[in-house]
Amino acid sequence: MLFNSLHFLIFLPLVLVLYYTLPHRYRWVLLFVASSYFYSVFYPPYLLILYFIIVIDYTAARGIENTEGYWRKAILLVSIAANVGLLAYFKYYNFFILSSNNIITGLGGQSNLPLRQIILPIGLSFHTFQSLSYTIEVYWKRQKAERHIGYFANYVLFFPQMVAGPIERYASLGAQLHIKQVFSYDNIANGLRLILYGLFIKMCVADNMAPLVDQLYSNPGKVGTLSTWLGLIAFSIQIYADFYGYSTIAIGAGRCMGIKMMDNFKQPYFATGIQEFWQRWHISLSTWFRDYVYIPLGGSRVKTARWMLNILAVFGLSGLWHGANYTFIIWGLAHATLYFIEYFVYKTPLVKLIKTPVGQWVSGAFTFIAVTLIWIFFRAADISQAKLVIKTALGIIPNGAVIIMPTLWQLLPVALFILFEIIIRGKRFEIWAGSYAAPVRWVSYALLAFCIVLFSGIQSYPFIYFQF
Amino acid sequence: MAKLVYKLAMAAVLLAAIVWVANPLYTHYFFKNDVLEAKGKLLFDLDSLQYTNEVLYFGESSDLTIAETDTCQWSISQMIDKLSPKNVGRVSTHAIHGATYVKLIQNIKPDSKVKTIIVTLNLRSFGADWIHSRLETPLMKTNVLYEPMPPILRRLQVVFNGYDNTQTDIREERRMQHWQHDKINVPDTFPYKNVNDWDMAAGKDNIYNYVLPNGARNDPKIELACHYIKTYAFSIDVDKNPRIADFDKIVALAKTKKLNVVFNLLAENLEYADSLVGPVLVNLMRQNRDLLVKRYTQPGVIVVDNLETVTNGLDFTDQNWTTEHYNQTGRWLVARNVVSKADVWLK
Repeated sequence: MLFNSLHFLIFLPLVLVLYYTLPHRYRWVLLFVASSYFYSVFYPPYLLILYFIIVIDYTAARGIENTEGYWRKAILLVSIAANVGLLAYFKYYNFFILSSNNIITGLGGQSNLPLRQIILPIGLSFHTFQSLSYTIEVYWKRQKAERHIGYFANYVLFFPQMVAGPIERYASLGAQLHIKQVFSYDNIANGLRLILYGLFIKMCVADNMAPLVDQLYSNPGKVGTLSTWLGLIAFSIQIYADFYGYSTIAIGAGRCMGIKMMDNFKQPYFATGIQEFWQRWHISLSTWFRDYVYIPLGGSRVKTARWMLNILAVFGLSGLWHGANYTFIIWGLAHATLYFIEYFVYKTPLVKLIKTPVGQWVSGAFTFIAVTLIWIFFRAADISQAKLVIKTALGIIPNGAVIIMPTLWQLLPVALFILFEIIIRGKRFEIWAGSYAAPVRWVSYALLAFCIVLFSGIQSYPFIYFQF
Repeated sequence: MAKLVYKLAMAAVLLAAIVWVANPLYTHYFFKNDVLEAKGKLLFDLDSLQYTNEVLYFGESSDLTIAETDTCQWSISQMIDKLSPKNVGRVSTHAIHGATYVKLIQNIKPDSKVKTIIVTLNLRSFGADWIHSRLETPLMKTNVLYEPMPPILRRLQVVFNGYDNTQTDIREERRMQHWQHDKINVPDTFPYKNVNDWDMAAGKDNIYNYVLPNGARNDPKIELACHYIKTYAFSIDVDKNPRIADFDKIVALAKTKKLNVVFNLLAENLEYADSLVGPVLVNLMRQNRDLLVKRYTQPGVIVVDNLETVTNGLDFTDQNWTTEHYNQTGRWLVARNVVSKADVWLK
């Protein structure tokens, strides 16, 4: 079910009424049914995949907790294999086959392994990573295995965040699901504020930028340099607004039920360096990779060469996590390269200059431009398309005939969004709104609602991160 | 709780006020652009044509396609207009079907001049290949913009995904499921009981033995045969087929609006269906035709059976695909038959 749908606008209040009406001991049933229904709206057969993950990881965690020695690791490996195996089949099968065919053909052999028509289950990478974090935590004895499969199922299925995160840990989400949440005006009010703001960001900002981005990528090599940059900046805004909007609605929907979820974004485009960018962008995934890949590999407490390998591994895997395409791997590795450059620059006397107020502005602008350029690999369908876009951006290809020109109605919501983000800098929307008197609050709600009614993009663009 | 109910009521009032204020703004400044962007020009065509024409023709690409070699550039509806003493207005665009006609007919106002509607009944649109086509999602969205309600509410329904916006790959999966599981009324002795098996036999196994002079597979011809199978090998299930539901609604709507209905069951290329695949496929097409004619022949409705009107396969402009696009000879044949069979309302 889409958050920006009439379906959800009816579904959520209905669930909330039932949630606060039912005794606590039955709420897990409600959440399980509601979450299953929420997911089944996309494609019912794939609920079975989620149930499979639940059964495997629930059983694995119980097994890990009840055994010692070699068997603990063996059970963990079964859990990892099941989760990664699902990802490998549904997400990467055709990528592996195509790559194998290309490699074998490149070596002079003949290979025509058949591709399969596979529908990627929405949000599979999110479910598997969330569920995996639980079995790993149980293996490390930092988390007790859940006894009640219903609660564990709700941890994997919790509808506000099941499709695109934030990727929560059991210690936080699981524990909150156990607590008897009592009705609170503040929770509902704050939740609804977040949902309103999230809908505005997704529908008015992201969906108005999308047509500009589509123009750029459907005419690679034919767009003028200035227009290319407009399209690239539009994508930087679109991807952020799309995912930030989704996360904000998710956090808001959870908040309505008294569940507090982690922030996934902290104004990443205000970052003054790439390291800081990654502390602010898709935080739940960054911390997942930090905790379950980077630190187990030795983190930064190793020699520089090894540390660099660790960083490369994390960013490479992060790229692959996003999509089964070389472009995503390049996207990840490009971020790793910037990370290294920044690391070494910070070891030179230049650091003093960077830390001045002007230096921070310049560094922030540089970070934004670099991230915007690297997004090309995230958005492009393939490497050749990415190359064409880079060439037009750098003016290597002469000015093309296609001109990208946003309308006033597309720019107005973006301007309002930037204004809001500057005003609420360092806070979340609901906290900012809650700190003002009623007239100011209601004017801001009215403004957001008016924008949604009048300026939201008419074309339907699914949340970008659903495909992951 | 009381505080929440009070605040929610306030929010609802505020929202209603915003929508009320936004409606004239939206209608004046944005609606037309949104409709045109969603390829919904028909709505404006209908608005103007219904006050100047006694007959409206609702059609798809069959009413828009002209062959390059045609000396006569008139479409089917324009030909009907020439043949009939009554003014016939054209409300046609590409790739629409019964669901769109329903929405458009809902927009015929009580004070309009329209007495008769001619609606194309496209046999292909009843098959899984079209029902689960990738064009369906944008079409469903456009249909929302045709809903007879204030423009701002249509917009809200669109932006809040209040229509069937199933992903393309899921639509394709559903189509595959239909091809695999839907039974087709073929003779007991015929070895293929569903589209999938038949298509595989025609394609992979080349059962029709299409080979080039050098003995190699004639892939273009095989592909065309397979396409004919996937397009026409179905048996309409009147309880489940969404097009049946649409055309039933059209009949019911016409009755309430006191309109005469002429269903123009379009000609298909039976000659090629027969030569490429054989009589079993042609028989399926005839079975479906018979069902539609029988179901919709009733007081106030005339079904003009044009299925076999264009007998020469060369009169179809698309020689390598299944369409209802005819050259001028084909169009005149169809138009004349419509006017002749529905003369009670068209003459």
